[in-house]
Amino acid sequence: MITITINEKKITLEKPVTILEAARSAGIHIPTLCHEDILEPYGGCRLCLVEVEKVPRLLSACTQYITEGMVVRTETERVIEARRAILEFLLINHPLDCSFCDKAGECDLQDLAMKYGPATGRFAEGKRKHPESYDDPLIVRNMERCVLCSKCVRMCEDVQGASALCITNRGSKSYVEPFSGGRYNCEYCGNCLTVCPVGAIMSGLHRHDYRSWLIEREVETVCSYCGVGCSLLLQIRGNSLIRTVPKIGRGLNRGLLCSKGRFGYDYISNSERLDTPLIRRNGELQPAAWSEAITHIARRLKEIKENHGSDAIAGIVSGRCTNEDAYVFQKFFRGAIGTNNIDSVASLAYGPAQRFFERIFGQGVTANDIHGISNSDGIFVIGGDPTGINPVLGLQVRSACKKGAPVVVMGYAEGLKRFSKHAFITNSTTETVLLASLVSEIKKKKSLPGERPVFEEIISGLQPVPLKDASEMSGFGLNDLVDTVDTLSNMINPSIIVGRDIVQTSTGHMSLLFLAALAYLLNGRIYLLSELPNEQGLLDMGCQPDMLPSGRPLTIETFRTRCEETLGIAIPSTPGLNYVEMIEAAHAGRIKALYVMGEDTVQGLPDRNYVSDALRNVEFLVVQDMFLTETAQYADVVLPSLSWAEKEGSYTNLERRVQLTKKAVEGEGIEEWKIISEMSKILGLDMGYRSVTDIFTEIVRISHIYREITYNDITSGRCMWPYKGGPLRHDVHIEGIELPDIVSVMKNADESGVQVRREAHLFHSQNASRYSPALQSISPEPYVKMSETLAGRLSLRDGEHVKVVTEAGSITLSVHRDPCLPENVVLIPPFEKGGIFEITKWKVNPVTKAPALDGNRVIIET
Amino acid sequence: MVVLNQKVLEEINRIKSKYHDSRSCLLPALYIFQREYGWLSPEALEAVGEILNIPKATVKGVSTFYAMFSHKPTGRHLIQLCTNVACMLMGGERLLDVLREQYGLEPNITTPDNRFSLVIMECIGACDTAPAMLVDTDFHGNLTGEKVIDILEKYK
Amino acid sequence: MERVLLRNTESPHSADIHEYIKGGGYISLHKAFEMKPFDVIDEVRRSGLRGRGGAGFPTGMKWSFAVADPQTPKYLICNADEGEPGTFKDRGILEKNPHLLIEGMVISAYAIEAAWGYIYLRGEYPRAKDVLLSAIKQAYEKNYLGDNILGKGVGFHLHVHCGAGAYICGEETALIESLEGKRGQPRIKPPFPVNEGFSLKPTIINNVETLANIPCIIEIGGDAYSKIGSPECPGPKLYSVSGHVKRPGVYELPMGVTLREIIYTHCGGILGDKKLKAVIPGGISTPVLTPDKIDCPMDFRNLPRVGSLLGSGAVIAFDETVDMVNVCLRITKFFEHESCGKCTPCREGVGWMRAIIERICGGAGRNGDLDHLMEVSSNILGKTFCPLGDSAATVVQSYLGNFRHEFEEKIKNR
Ligand SMILES: Cc1cc2nc3c(=O)[nH]c(=O)nc-3n(C[C@H](O)[C@H](O)[C@H](O)COP(=O)(O)O)c2cc1C
Ligand code: SF4
Ligand code: FES
Repeated sequence: MITITINEKKITLEKPVTILEAARSAGIHIPTLCHEDILEPYGGCRLCLVEVEKVPRLLSACTQYITEGMVVRTETERVIEARRAILEFLLINHPLDCSFCDKAGECDLQDLAMKYGPATGRFAEGKRKHPESYDDPLIVRNMERCVLCSKCVRMCEDVQGASALCITNRGSKSYVEPFSGGRYNCEYCGNCLTVCPVGAIMSGLHRHDYRSWLIEREVETVCSYCGVGCSLLLQIRGNSLIRTVPKIGRGLNRGLLCSKGRFGYDYISNSERLDTPLIRRNGELQPAAWSEAITHIARRLKEIKENHGSDAIAGIVSGRCTNEDAYVFQKFFRGAIGTNNIDSVASLAYGPAQRFFERIFGQGVTANDIHGISNSDGIFVIGGDPTGINPVLGLQVRSACKKGAPVVVMGYAEGLKRFSKHAFITNSTTETVLLASLVSEIKKKKSLPGERPVFEEIISGLQPVPLKDASEMSGFGLNDLVDTVDTLSNMINPSIIVGRDIVQTSTGHMSLLFLAALAYLLNGRIYLLSELPNEQGLLDMGCQPDMLPSGRPLTIETFRTRCEETLGIAIPSTPGLNYVEMIEAAHAGRIKALYVMGEDTVQGLPDRNYVSDALRNVEFLVVQDMFLTETAQYADVVLPSLSWAEKEGSYTNLERRVQLTKKAVEGEGIEEWKIISEMSKILGLDMGYRSVTDIFTEIVRISHIYREITYNDITSGRCMWPYKGGPLRHDVHIEGIELPDIVSVMKNADESGVQVRREAHLFHSQNASRYSPALQSISPEPYVKMSETLAGRLSLRDGEHVKVVTEAGSITLSVHRDPCLPENVVLIPPFEKGGIFEITKWKVNPVTKAPALDGNRVIIET
Repeated sequence: MVVLNQKVLEEINRIKSKYHDSRSCLLPALYIFQREYGWLSPEALEAVGEILNIPKATVKGVSTFYAMFSHKPTGRHLIQLCTNVACMLMGGERLLDVLREQYGLEPNITTPDNRFSLVIMECIGACDTAPAMLVDTDFHGNLTGEKVIDILEKYK
Repeated sequence: MERVLLRNTESPHSADIHEYIKGGGYISLHKAFEMKPFDVIDEVRRSGLRGRGGAGFPTGMKWSFAVADPQTPKYLICNADEGEPGTFKDRGILEKNPHLLIEGMVISAYAIEAAWGYIYLRGEYPRAKDVLLSAIKQAYEKNYLGDNILGKGVGFHLHVHCGAGAYICGEETALIESLEGKRGQPRIKPPFPVNEGFSLKPTIINNVETLANIPCIIEIGGDAYSKIGSPECPGPKLYSVSGHVKRPGVYELPMGVTLREIIYTHCGGILGDKKLKAVIPGGISTPVLTPDKIDCPMDFRNLPRVGSLLGSGAVIAFDETVDMVNVCLRITKFFEHESCGKCTPCREGVGWMRAIIERICGGAGRNGDLDHLMEVSSNILGKTFCPLGDSAATVVQSYLGNFRHEFEEKIKNR
C-alpha cells in the first residue's frame, strides 16, 4: 500500500504506479500528448510536468513512479506556466490551419491550446515547412502538424510490430516518415492514425469531408471481416457510415485494428450494391418486387421437392451471416424442405480441423482466449499466416515473441518472418512428414502424462520418422531440425496456431493427428485461424450436414428427437451433403436446387471452371448477396442482402466469444431471417419470429453450449465459452482414428515439379475485401512468389510478368522473388482476378471431407 | 542494388561475436557499408537491415540520427572542418572561404570532379591545434589558408 | 606533482605495451587481483574519486550500487565519447596512454564483476581507434584481457564501439541506446544504468579519465590519493586549454588549481598579450565567466559558487577582441544541432533561441528581443528530459547576463 497526496487529496494505491495513473485513478486530470496507455512511457512532450514537494525540478507525471508519502501538485501557478511554455513551443512550428484540418474538433493540441495556451504566439522566425504527402493510397501525412510525440512510431514498432515508420534525423529536424519517404508499403493497420494526437497522420479516405462535430451517432459493434471479432465504433451521419474507429482499450482488440477493419468498411457504400431482387426472365436477370421474388422461390422449391425429393435441394451459408440468420436457414432446410443438405464455408477447413481436435480432446478444445497467446512461452504456427488471416491475433504472436517466446512456423507466414526462430516452407506432403518427424522426436523427450490413455496408445503407435529422413526429404538442415525439436520440447505452455492450409491437403487428416499429438505432448493450447467473422457460429448453429445446433451429431437419435420435440419439426435422420459434395452433386446433376446465402462459390472454391459448370447445371439457383457476384450471375433469383452494419445479430468468434453486431444505418433490403421465415411460411412451417431476440432465445433454448446467455451478456463482449461453466460434451470418441502409414506416404511421395500453394493475403481476403475500393487500392496487382533459385533459373526479375500454367488453366502474374521459399513451391494469393483458385483443382480428403489442393503443379512460362 | 561481397558479410559476422545482441552491430555495420560504398543508399540501409534482421525503417531512423553517416554520395575524400568555438576563434570560418574559392566547396557539397566533399563538424577534439580538420581519417591542425591548400593537394 | 595520467607520454612509443610495462604499468592490476573485489571498491571509495565525465558523481559509490544488484551479467562501459566542444583530454589518454585505460578497466571490471566491457569511442577519433585496437590486441596477447587473466580465473573481454557523430551519446543512457544500435536518445531514469543499463543489465559507465585514475588509486592507496588536490574533490585532473592562450594543450594538474594559474602560469598567458575578456571553464556547455572570477579553484565545489561548472575541465579563453554575441550564437547552433529531438522544450526552444540570436547578429534585432530570449530560455530551463536542453538555456543566460551590453549594441547599431 502506498499513500500519496495529490492536490491535497490523500490517495492510497496498491502498486507503485506512475503519478499520472495515480492521478487518473483519483479523477485528477493531467494533460498529456505523448502518453498512451498501451505504449511504454516516453516522457517526451513534457506537458504532464507536475510539482513534487522536496524535488526542485518539475517531474513528468507519465514517467515518474509514486513513492510513499509523495506530495504532488498538478495545478500550481508554476505547473500551469510550464504547460503554457510547452504549448507555445509546440505551436511555434505548428501551422494554425485548424480551419481545414480534418482533425479539428478532436485534436488534442487544439484542445490543450484552448485550455492553457497563450492567446497569441510570439514566434516571429518563420515556421518549418513540409508539403503534405499524398504518396500513399490510404494515409495522408502532414508533417508540419507533427508534434513528435512518437506515438505512431512506437505503435508501429512496439505494438503492431510492423516497424514501417521511423523518426529520421534528430533535433529540430526530426521527421516522421516511412522508409520510402512516400508510400508506406506497410500492413496498413492504421493504428498510427488512432494514436496521432494531431492532424499529422490521417486517413486518406475522407480527406476534407470529415468534421468531427458532424458525426451524429456512434455505434459500438464488431468488425465484419475475420474470425477475431474486433470491437469498433461506427461513426454515422444521417444514414451514412462515415468511418470506423477503434475504441482504445475496448474489446478483445483493446483498440487495435487491422487494415480491413479500419479501411475496408467502404464496401457498404459501394455503388455496385444490389438494391432490388432480380429474377431471371428470358435468360436475363430482371428487377422484381420482393414479394414476387419470395413467392417465386418458395414455389419453385416446392415444385422441385415434389418432383425430385427433398434431397435434390441444398443450401450453403456464408461465414458472414449472423448466428440468427444461419440458425433460421438450417431450420428452414431441415424443417420446411426436409433435408440435411445444409453446409457452409466452415466445412472447407475450420470445421474439419475443429471436429478432429474435439473428437480427441473434447468439445471446446479450440475455444481459447487469444490473449493467452502473448502469455505463452512458445508458439507453433502451422498452415497459415496469423498476421495475414487474423491480424489482431497475429499481434499476439509478435507480442509473445517480443517477450522472448520462440516462434516456430511451418508454412508461409510473411508477417512473422522477422519474428520466427525457425520457419519451414515445404510442399504439402513434406509438411506432413516433417510434422511426423517432429512428433516422433519430441515423443522421446517428453513423457506422456497419462491423462488420455486411449490417445496415448495412438501416440505410442505412431511410426517413427527419423529427423535425418525428414531432413533429407525436405532439404532442411539436420541441425535446424534438432534445434526445432529442442525449442519445442522446452516450451511449457505453448500456443499452437493452426491455419487452413494444413487441412486442405490429401494428407491433411494425418497432419491433424500429428498436430494433436504435438499439442498433447507439449501441453499446448490450440487456436484455429478463421477467415470469416462467423465460421464458429455456423458450426454452433448446426449449419452442417451431420450436426445439429451445438455440435450434436444428427445420427444420435436422442439428440435428434429432443431437437425435434423442442422445435416441433421433423428432422431427417440421414446426414446430407457437405459443401464440396454439393458442388460435385450439382455437377453430376443430382442437385436440382441450390440456395446460396452470402457466399460467392465461384470465388471461394478452387477450380473455377468446374464450379461454374456445376452452378450452370443447377436447375434453380438462388443467391442472396450484397453484390452481383460471379455466383449470382448464374442465379435464377438474386436477393440483395443487408450489410453487417445494416442489421442486428450476433457473431461467434474463433475463441467462441459471442458478440453483437449492431444496426447502424438503414440499408436497402430485408433481413435474411425474415426472408426465410417468409418462405418457410409459404412452405408450411411458420417460425413465428418477430425479432432477432426471438431467434436468439430459441438458440439458447436448443443449444446447450449457448445455455443461459442473454442479450445483455453479449453486449458486454465477455460472453465466452463455456458461458455458464455448464458441462461440456466430454464424450471423446477416438476409436476409428486410423494410424497413418507415414512410411508409405514418404515412399510414394511425388516430389517432382513445382507445387502451387496459397498465400493468405492481408488485403485480399476473399470476402468483402474485393468490394472495398480502399483495400483494393493497396496492392492491386496479382502476383506469384517464387524462390530466388527458381527465378534465377528462369532469369526472372521482380515485377516481370509470367504465365503460370496448370492443368486447370493459366493466368498471367507478376513475379515476386522471395529468398525464403524452397525451389519446388510457388505461392499465389487468392486475388479476385489472377488468383490461385483460377488454376487449381481439388480432390476430397477421404477423412476430413475438405477439399485437398495439393498436387497442383505449375509450369512457369516466360 | 547493393552487391554484397563476401568480405562485408564476413566482417559483419565477425562483429556479431562482440555483442550479445545482433542489434548492437547496427552502427558498426553501417560504418562498414559506408566505407565500402562511400555512402548509405536506401538499398544499403535495406541490406544492413536484412543482414541483421532489423526493419529497414528502423535502420533508417537510426542511421539518420548520426551526423557521420552520409545519406547521399560523397566524393573520394571527405573534408571535415571544425568550426566550433575554439576553431572559430582561431579562424576556422575563414578556411571555409578558402575552400569555397579554391575548390568551389560548400558545406554538404561535393566537387563536380567528385574529389572532395565538405562537412562542417562540431568539435573534432583538436582545439589545441585550432583551427583543425579531418581529411578522411587524418587530423590536420594549426591550419592557415595556404596550409589547407598544400594539404589537400596530397589528396587526389 | 608527478604526472599520473600522462606519465611517460613524451615517449613516441608510449602507447606500446612494452613501454608501458617498463614504466611500471600493469603492476596495479597484479596488486588489485590480490585484493577482494569489495576491497578494490572500498579503496576507490576512500580515494574520494569523482567522475571526470562532467557530473562529478563519486565513483566508488556508483560501483557499490551496481554490485548490490544481484543480476548478471554486468557490463563496464568506458565513456570515450568526449563530445564537449573544447575538450580533448580523453583523446590524450586514448592516443598516448591507452594501456592506462585498459588497466583501469580491467581493475574496475574485476571490482564490479563485469565480464564484458566496451569503450564507446567518438567517431571523430579515428586515430584513437587504431591506437586502442592495437593496444587491446597487445593486452590480449599478454593475457591482461581474455578468459583467464593472469591465470587468476578472472575473465574480461573488451571491445571498441564507435559512435557516429552525436554529442548526446555522451549522456550515459543515450550512450547505451546507441550501443544497442538505436537512436541515441536518453532513457527515462530511474532505472539507472547501474540497475538496468546495456541490454537491461547492471552497467557501470565511467569516463576515460575516471577509469585512468584507478591504477594510481590501487598503486598508492585510496588514502594517499585523497590527499592530492582539493580536499573535497581530490586527484589529478586533466585540463584541456584552448582559445587565445599562448600554449594550448592538455595539462595534468591537481584538482583545484585556479583558472589564473592555468592560463597565465601554465599556458603562458593570452596570445599577443591581449586582455582576457572571458573564459569558459568546463567546455561550452558550462556558463561563461568574466575575468574577475579567474581566481576561483577549478573543481566541482568551487566553480558553482561563481556561477559556472567544472564540466569536462575544458578551458577556452577569449581575448578582448572577441564578439561574444557571435560566440553565443555558435554555441546555440551547436546545441540545436545536437539536440536529440525527444523532448519539446529542447527541440523547439533551442532553435528558437538560435533564431533570435542569429537575427540579432544579422543586424535585424529588435527591442524586446533580449527579454524575449531570456523568457524563452527560462521556459526551457528545468523542463527538459535530460541536461542538454538545460545547458543550452543556462549558457545563453550566462552570455546574456555577462555581456548584455554587446547584444544591446548589436540591436542598436543595426
Ligand atoms: C549531454 C551530455 C553529454 C555528455 N557527454 C559526456 C562525454 O562526452 N563524456 C563523458 O565522459 N561524459 C559525458 N557526459 C556525462 C555522462 O552522462 C556520465 O555522467 C559520465 O560518463 C559518467 O562517468 P563519470 O562518473 O566517470 O564521470 C555527458 C552528459 C550529458 C548530459
Ligand atoms: S533535452 Fe530533450 S531533446 Fe534535448 S537532448 Fe535531452 S532529451 Fe533530447
Ligand atoms: S505525457 Fe508525460 S511527457 Fe508527454
